[in-house]
Amino acid sequence: MILGFLGAGALLAALVMGAFSMVLSFWAGWRQSGVMVQVGRRAFYAAAAMMIVAGAVLEWALLSHDFSLVYVTEHTDLSTPIVLVAAGFYGGQEGSLLYWAMVLGVLGSASLVASASLGLRLAAYAAGVMAAIVTFFLVVLVMVASPFDLLSLTPPDGLGLNPVLRDGGMLIHPPVVLAGFASFAIPFSFAAAALLAGRPDTAWIAHTRRFALIAWSLQTTGLVLGMWWAYHVLGWGGYWGWDPVENVAFMPWLATTAYLHSSQVQESRGRLRTWNFSLVIVAFLLVVFGTFIVRSGVVPSVHTFAISAIGPWFLAFLFICIVFSAVLLAVRSSHLGGAAQPIAPVSREGAFVLQNLLLVGVVVVVLWGTVLPLTSGMFGQQRVVGASYYERAAGPLFVAILALMAAGPLLPWRRAAGVPSRRALIWPAATLVVVLALMLIAGVRSIPALVALPLVAAVAATCVTQYARLLRGWSRLPALLVRKRRRYGAYLAHLGLAVLVTGIGASHFWQQEMDVTLVPGQQVTVAGYTLTYVGTEQRQLDDHTELVGLMRFGDARLEPARATYAGLGGQSLTRVAINTTPLADVYVVLAGAGDGGSASFRVFVNPLVSWIWAGGAIIILGVLLGNLGERAPAVEAVRRRVAASVPS
Amino acid sequence: MIRWAIPGLVVAACVGYLIYTASGGSAEYYLTVSELPSHTGSGDVRVAGIVQDDVLKTDGGLHVTFTEKDATAAVPVDYTGTLPDIFKPGITVVAEGRLGKDGVFHARTLLAKCPSRFSTTTYTQ
Repeated sequence: MILGFLGAGALLAALVMGAFSMVLSFWAGWRQSGVMVQVGRRAFYAAAAMMIVAGAVLEWALLSHDFSLVYVTEHTDLSTPIVLVAAGFYGGQEGSLLYWAMVLGVLGSASLVASASLGLRLAAYAAGVMAAIVTFFLVVLVMVASPFDLLSLTPPDGLGLNPVLRDGGMLIHPPVVLAGFASFAIPFSFAAAALLAGRPDTAWIAHTRRFALIAWSLQTTGLVLGMWWAYHVLGWGGYWGWDPVENVAFMPWLATTAYLHSSQVQESRGRLRTWNFSLVIVAFLLVVFGTFIVRSGVVPSVHTFAISAIGPWFLAFLFICIVFSAVLLAVRSSHLGGAAQPIAPVSREGAFVLQNLLLVGVVVVVLWGTVLPLTSGMFGQQRVVGASYYERAAGPLFVAILALMAAGPLLPWRRAAGVPSRRALIWPAATLVVVLALMLIAGVRSIPALVALPLVAAVAATCVTQYARLLRGWSRLPALLVRKRRRYGAYLAHLGLAVLVTGIGASHFWQQEMDVTLVPGQQVTVAGYTLTYVGTEQRQLDDHTELVGLMRFGDARLEPARATYAGLGGQSLTRVAINTTPLADVYVVLAGAGDGGSASFRVFVNPLVSWIWAGGAIIILGVLLGNLGERAPAVEAVRRRVAASVPS
Repeated sequence: MIRWAIPGLVVAACVGYLIYTASGGSAEYYLTVSELPSHTGSGDVRVAGIVQDDVLKTDGGLHVTFTEKDATAAVPVDYTGTLPDIFKPGITVVAEGRLGKDGVFHARTLLAKCPSRFSTTTYTQ
């Protein structure tokens, strides 16, 4: 009971501090008052601190099973393992919103600490925009979706966490995805601030890029973990279903990927300023839009997110954000200007521009598919698209992006008329031809596979040749690797993506599945992998019972099972058994048990799925190696300029 | 900038073409059970409705028949494959497939709409 009051009090205090910070920061930026900037920023820190207090109180309430709180009752019970009770924090609507606001508070504070050198007005406006976003979340948390609402009667036990969420993946996937979503607000705040302050120079790029990269890395990790979780827990044999919930996480990632590339054109050539602002802004708008459609239930989704009262609030917020950004861009873009050097079509920057257009194209495709139930519903019968739409519409665009990934890094800046670039293209081109020939010999006749996979090999070859070039001057190698770590980190990330796409391609084109009913001792062979059914057994565990269908696969034992949770009205849950071999995963789902000890299974053989997880890890490794301790030269130059021009 | 208007337009046209052809071929109608009989288009449709008590599982749970119903109409559904975990009478399912000549809806996939555990239920007074 007392925890409910404590938490609600902390939220209210955070709301007051957030609103105070917003008003003060905007005012400080407008009046160029150094003292007020400080006060506004500290109010933001205070709001962040109060949100952390609220989060701690909620966690405490969960861990102490304080069922006087609606939230605790609805998302946990006494039988839930304690780690998962802790994860209940972000397992529900209200808690996940609090977690989101908390992450924004913490990351936002970090970005503000680092922004002190950017100039008074920019830092003030950035704090103001960030405080406005935090304030919005706090208003929603206090008024419509409070995790601290109390029950009039305290029940003896809670309802428990959805069994699907009772998994180790629950401990890492949702917090990373939510943190990724929250962090897109930071580049947006700095973009809006730079436009408000009228200071769109490279200092903004360096600072914004850093936080865009953090957001991008979190989102990459979140997406890969989400795929991993879907694959290991949901038991449908796949990892990506083009469901609206997945799409809305994918779209800001695409926009930010585009930004991370196009910002390089601005860094080195001073071009594409308006475009860069637009990308950062669009990424954030896609986050707000995604949150709205996912959590308001306006499009049909199979995910377990709630249809709830927060929909209209997010719609209003989305509307305000769109109007604010559009007006800001329209008024300020004429001031952005930029050097008037043209961009040559065949050059590094030309490749970046084309890649950007293609990525935006993918965003449009995904957006169209996601909102089709809405738009078609307005003009008649509601229609939906499935995976085949996305594969057919986005597939060719992805292939074009792969081609650019293979060629782009080899093109020089400014123009590529010279011979060197043609010579550099030999290796990827040769790899492409060899892989294509090998696939044809191996009997592959699927056109999409014959186009996509050789291109992926060419991408990998391009990255490898870049590293090979390094080795030529091996005496200078360590120094060069450190000095140009951003570039080599990026090639490593590209290589990781190539590995990941290989895994997606192989499992997409060559997945095999079979439904079988077996009696004990009987064997089944799928795609050359032989499984022997041993028998079923019943197991009693802490909070559920399991029906296990034992299988032998070589020396390994597979234990696909169906768990039944008595506490949740007998809800059942599939436990997939996966055996990873170097070339493929053997993936077994128990459908049910029949008479005489027989059991039915669905067996998948998924080639190279483990490459997807490995590729994701390599991408993150590349980003980390490329950016740890990185300080772009632009920041240094600007620091001097700022120190000279702004009295602090 | 003018030079980039052309590639921009080309990409935009390609994207438009891809969306048009892809959604023309694979967009499916999303219907309720009562809208199903009057739907004339060819191709698969998705039908949302509530699973009734007559669920009959055979073949070790890999083959299932049941009646899907909304406020005014009902249709028998026939499905082969693994069932969603939360499948049971009373939940809302979305069956994807087509209505056969025999009046039975032959589902290719079966999606369960989770009874939302995120929303506030009757516990709040």
